[in-house]
Amino acid sequence: MIWIAIRMLTGDRQKFYGLLFGIAFSTLLITQQLTIFVNLIERGASGAYNVGEAQVWVMDPVSRTTDVAYALPSTALDKVRGVRGVEWAVPHLRAAASVRTKDGDLEGVAIIGVDDATLIGLPKRMASGSIDVLSQPDSVIIDDVGTINMFGADVDPIGERLELNDQRAVIRGIADSIPSFTSQVTLYTKYSQALRYVPGTRNRLSFVLVGVSEGQTAAEVADRIERDTGLKAETRDEFAQAGVDFIIENTGIPTNFGITVVLGFVVGVAIVGLTFSLFIRDNIKQFGALKAIGVTNGRILRMVAAQAGLVGFIGYGFGVLGTVGFMWAFSGNPFFKGFYIPWQIPLISLGAVIVILAITGTLALRSVFKTEPASVFR
Amino acid sequence: MAFNLRNFSFSRMGLPILAVVGLIVAVIFIAGRLPDRELSEPEREPPRATGALADADRVAGSGVVEPSSEVIQIGTALSGLVTDLRVQPGDYVAKGQPLFTVDTRAIRAQLQQSDAAIGEARAAIAEAQAAQATASRQLALYRSIDDPAAVSRAEVIRAEGEASAASQRLQLARARLDSAQAAAASARTELGRATVRAPISGEILSVNIKPGEYLSTMGGGGGAPFIEMGETRPLHVRIDIDEEQATRLAMGAEAVVSPRGAAGRQVKASFVRAEPLVVPKRSLTNSASERVDVRVLQVIYALPESAKGAFRVGQQVDAFIPAAKNTGTKDAK
Amino acid sequence: MMATIMDPSAIGGCKPDAAICTRGVTRDFKAGQQTITVLHGIDTDIRAGELTFVVGESGSGKTTLISIMCGILYPTLGEVKVFGTDIYRLSDTELVKFRLQNIGFIFQQYNLIPSIDAASNAAVPLIAQGMGRLEARERAKAMLERLNIGNQADKLPNQLSGGQQQRVAIARALVHEPRLVVCDEPTAALDASSGRRVMDLLREVAVAADRACIIVTHDNRIFDLADRIIQLEDGRITHDGTTMPDGH
Repeated sequence: MIWIAIRMLTGDRQKFYGLLFGIAFSTLLITQQLTIFVNLIERGASGAYNVGEAQVWVMDPVSRTTDVAYALPSTALDKVRGVRGVEWAVPHLRAAASVRTKDGDLEGVAIIGVDDATLIGLPKRMASGSIDVLSQPDSVIIDDVGTINMFGADVDPIGERLELNDQRAVIRGIADSIPSFTSQVTLYTKYSQALRYVPGTRNRLSFVLVGVSEGQTAAEVADRIERDTGLKAETRDEFAQAGVDFIIENTGIPTNFGITVVLGFVVGVAIVGLTFSLFIRDNIKQFGALKAIGVTNGRILRMVAAQAGLVGFIGYGFGVLGTVGFMWAFSGNPFFKGFYIPWQIPLISLGAVIVILAITGTLALRSVFKTEPASVFR
Repeated sequence: MAFNLRNFSFSRMGLPILAVVGLIVAVIFIAGRLPDRELSEPEREPPRATGALADADRVAGSGVVEPSSEVIQIGTALSGLVTDLRVQPGDYVAKGQPLFTVDTRAIRAQLQQSDAAIGEARAAIAEAQAAQATASRQLALYRSIDDPAAVSRAEVIRAEGEASAASQRLQLARARLDSAQAAAASARTELGRATVRAPISGEILSVNIKPGEYLSTMGGGGGAPFIEMGETRPLHVRIDIDEEQATRLAMGAEAVVSPRGAAGRQVKASFVRAEPLVVPKRSLTNSASERVDVRVLQVIYALPESAKGAFRVGQQVDAFIPAAKNTGTKDAK
Repeated sequence: MMATIMDPSAIGGCKPDAAICTRGVTRDFKAGQQTITVLHGIDTDIRAGELTFVVGESGSGKTTLISIMCGILYPTLGEVKVFGTDIYRLSDTELVKFRLQNIGFIFQQYNLIPSIDAASNAAVPLIAQGMGRLEARERAKAMLERLNIGNQADKLPNQLSGGQQQRVAIARALVHEPRLVVCDEPTAALDASSGRRVMDLLREVAVAADRACIIVTHDNRIFDLADRIIQLEDGRITHDGTTMPDGH
C-alpha cells in the first residue's frame, strides 16, 4: 500500500513540488539562519578558541571576556605558576590601541601580546609567514580578516609599516584566525613589545594562560587557581561560553534570528499545511474507497506518514543542500570567515521538519479518519 | 522493483536519489568544516615545574642571574684621560690586578719637580754645612788668640755671627729637603692612584671605557659604570617572590631554575640567603613612568658550577621553589 | 457501539441459505435536534447466486440499507449476518478485515486512484490483503482480460474512457473473489444500450452460485434483468419479488 501512497503523492506534481518547496524552504531558512546566528554569537568566543594551547584562562575577578578584561599585577603570573596542577603558565596581553597607517589614517586595533619565550597565545595556523618572525625587532603579525579591513583584499601587507604609540611596527606575518565579533584588526606581537605599543598603565597583564598537568582536568585546576590565588580562572570552554553569553546579553541578535527562525517554521507550516490539506482533500474519495474496501485507519496513517516522510526527506535534503551551497558560496567572504554548520543545527531543522509534517499530517489525517466509508455511496 | 530506465520516474526515484546525494554532500561538508578547536601542545617548551615539584605545593618566582659578589661597578679616584686599558670583558682577573690607568703625565712632572727640589735642598745643605765649617773654624781661631790686641773684639763678634748664621742656613736647607721629599712621596702616591686595580678576584663583565676617553670621578657619561665585574664562580640568582607568597616559601630548600626561553635546561640551585629587606618589584618594561605597588622578597640561590654555560649574568630566569609543608595551599590535606 | 443495542425480538430466524440476513435493522440519523429514522426494522434475506436489485426513490433509504448490509455503516438497532457472521458484533478491525476478504465494491464514481495504472487499481484489494505487488498485478490483469480490457492494463485511469474505467472498477470489485458484490448505480451515467452491456457483463462475471450480488439502482430500464427486486419506500420494504409490480 505504501507504494500506492507514494504514487498518489507524486502523481499530483503541482502539490508534490509545492510540498517539497515548502519543506525545503523551511529547512533552508531555519538551518541557514541558525547557522549564521550560531556563528555570529560564537564570534564572541573566537578570542578564546584562537589560542590553541591554553586550557585555563586566569584573569581578574571582574574580567568577563577576552575583550572586556581588567589588568592584573605582574606577579599574578608567579602566583598562578605556584598552584599545584599548573603545568605551565604564560602572560597574555590584550589591549586596544590606535594605529596610524602609512597613509596617515587612524584605525583602532586590538593588540595581543604573547609570551616572549614560547609564543603561546598565537593562533594555531599562519596564513602567511611563520611565527618566528616575531623574533625580529618591531615585528607584528596581523590577522587575515584584519588585513582585508585595513589594506583591502589586493594588498600584500607583509612589510607594511605602522605607527603604534609612537613606535614603529612592521607587519611580517599573517595569522589564520577567526575574527572577533567586531572584526577588529588584530595585531599579534611579543609581550614585551606589546607593552611598548600600548599606552602605559600600571598593570598590563590581561590574562595568564595555563596548561594543565597530566592527570588533572582543566576544571579542577581552574577551581584550585581560584581558591589559591583569589583570581578568576575559567576553562577554555567556560571562557568561550562567557564570550558568547556576553554577545547574547548585549546585542539584539538572538531576538532577530529567533524571529526569522520562527518565521521559517511558520512559513513551513503554512505552505506545507495548506498544500497537504489540499492534497488530502483531492484524494479524499480515494481514501474513502480504500476504507470501504477494507483498509484500516492504521494503514491509512502509514500511507500518509509515508507521503509525509518522502516529502520531508527530499525537501529536507534539498534544504540542507541549499544551506551548504550558501555557506560554500560565501566561504570566501571575510564576513563568513570561519563559519561552519554545527552538526546540531541540521538535526534541529530535521526536528522542525518532523514537527511541521506531524502537525500538518495530523490535520490532514483527521479529515481522512472522519470520512465515513459510507460516504462513497453518495 | 528492478531498475528499468523506461520506468524511471524523476519524482519517485530521481528526487530521492538527489536528496540522498545532497545529504551526503552536506554531511561531508559539515563534517569537513567543523572548526578545529582541539587543544594543542605548545611548540616551544614553557617553564614548568618538574620532578617532585610537578605535583606538589610550590612557589614560583622570576629573577635575574648575578655574580655571587653582586656586580661591582669600578670607579676611578682620579679624573683624567684613559691611557692604558688592561682588561676586556670575559677576562678573569686576580685581586689587585691593574684594570686601567688614567693619564699620569702631570703627576710625573710633579714628581720630577719634587726630585729637583730634593737635589736643590741637598745642595743647599752641603753649601750650608761648608759655610758653617768655615765660620766655626774662624771663630775657633779667634778664640784661641789671647792677645786682645791681635784680634779686635769686633772681629770676634762678627765671626760668632757668621757661625750662627751658617748653622741656621743648614737647618733651613734640611727643612727644604724634608719638604721636597714629602712632595715627591705625594706625587708617587698619586701615580699609584692613577692605576685602578681589581678589588676582588672575578670576571670582567663589561668595559665601557676606551683609551683616550676622559674619566671624571663623578662617573661616566650616561651613568654607565666604567667597568663592571663580579665573582662568577659561582653564579647566584636573585629570585623575586611576591610578598603574599613569601610566607609559603620553604626557606633553605633547593630551587628549580631555568633561563628564559630555554625552559628545558632546568638546574637545581642551592639556597644562599633571603634578603632582609622587602623591596618594590623591579619590572623590566623599560617604561620611565613605571609605578609599582607590588613588593617582593628577594631570595638568593647559588647555581651549580655545571650550569655555567646556560646562564649569564643579567639573564632573566624562572624558578620554582617548594612550599613549606604546613603553610601550604588551603587545599593541602 | 451501536452493535450492542439490539432488539431482542429480531435475534435469530435467519434462513440457512441466506447470504445476507437482516433482522429489525433500524437506522436513525440526527439532524440537529431532530432524529430522522431512515430505516424502519428491515427484515430481509438475500440469497447467493442471484442478482438482487435494491430499488427506490432518492431518500428511500436504499443507500443506507446497502451500507449497513456490507458493513460500512452501523445500524441503530437490529442485526446483520453476512454468510453467517454477525458483522456488527465484530471489532472495528475485524470488520474492516471481513470487508476486505468478503466484499467487493463497485462505486458509482468508480473512485479509481488516478496516479496508478489500471492493473494496479484493479489489484488494490489483493495488495491490501498483503499480496505481493507483481503477483497482485498479474491476477488483476487476468481479471481485466476477462473484462476485455486486458490491453488497457498499463494505462492510467484518466487515459481510459468512462466505460473502460467502470470495467476497471468492476475488476477491482471481483479480483479477490469476494462472496458479496455490491454495485452502486452501475448504469446511471450510461445510455440504455451501454447500461445493458454492463449489466450483461456483471451477470456474466459477478453472478456465481456462492456469491451474492446486490445492485442498487433507480434505473427502471434495467429492472427486467433482475432475479429479485427489493423496493424500498420511506425506509420500509414495499415490494419483494422477481419483477417490479405494475405502475413502474
